[in-house]
Amino acid sequence: MDYKYIEQLLERYWQCETTLEEEQILRTFFSQEDVPSHLKQYAELFIYENEATDQCLSDDFKQRMVDVVCEDTEVEARIIPLASRISSFMKAAAVVAVTLTIGNVAERALQKNSVSEVPGAPVIADTYTRTEDITSTIHIIDRNQHDAMAQADSIRKLDAIVEEGL
Amino acid sequence: MKEISFKNDILPLGDQLFRLALRITRNRQEAEDVVQDTLIRLWEGRDQLNEIKNLGTYAMTICRNLSLDHIDRMEHRNISLDEKVHDRQNNDRSPDEQLMNIQRHEAVNDIISQLPEKQRTIIQLRDIEGKNYQEIAETMNLSLSDVKVTLFRARQAVKEKITKQNNH
Repeated sequence: MDYKYIEQLLERYWQCETTLEEEQILRTFFSQEDVPSHLKQYAELFIYENEATDQCLSDDFKQRMVDVVCEDTEVEARIIPLASRISSFMKAAAVVAVTLTIGNVAERALQKNSVSEVPGAPVIADTYTRTEDITSTIHIIDRNQHDAMAQADSIRKLDAIVEEGL
Repeated sequence: MKEISFKNDILPLGDQLFRLALRITRNRQEAEDVVQDTLIRLWEGRDQLNEIKNLGTYAMTICRNLSLDHIDRMEHRNISLDEKVHDRQNNDRSPDEQLMNIQRHEAVNDIISQLPEKQRTIIQLRDIEGKNYQEIAETMNLSLSDVKVTLFRARQAVKEKITKQNNH
């Protein structure tokens, strides 16, 4: 068999002129049993290169690494901002405030209605009073909303100060 | 932004890092310590890993630097790290074949292990891990021409030692 190609490749390998693919051809060639005697001395090197990638970390080591990293991730503290912690409470408080306001206004409106049911009472004046009631209701809701937003804002500021402190 | 997974992205680099650390430190225990430090460092800096072009090369660079630190520390304490490193053998082979393989591997391993650090690292990266010149240059922080010159010297030294051994 003519080994000229292999001999040329080998010579180029020593001169560092081979590509990665050509180096793989050499490793494959030297891995076979029938290597000519004049090339046999180099077979061990290429077989070693081919098989050295079998050297691996033990499974125990890998499992230990996974355990170390998972433990590290699990104990990592999660910072929950104050605003998110009390946001559900704030929502409930807002619902209660709106319900009370509407209830209050409804009660006042019913009282007015019972007064206007008196026979002979002027209809125009009654309409005017109802409009006034609605306007005052809107004002109350607006004021309550404004108060709630101011409270939320001060909580956010407090939260920022606490986080800076951490 | 892709989320880095330890099991899928970082741990699979371990075997390659281990072989490199082992080539440089020539001691299995030290190599394992280096790999552990490297993997933890990669994991702790995982937020920045998406910006890294080639994670494998980056990991190899960290691993090589840590390995060099280890051998420096050991040299200062006058501790010899050299040990016979046996490859994991395939259990399908007969005991005779396994023994022959160990001897054959040890002979070549000794030749490569006796080379200066740069040369044996380059042999490891090119001839065992199959890295191209660019990747080797990035890992070792060398120019392409330095990589080629160092590899040339390493292969010539290996060839000379093999020839000498066979003539005896």
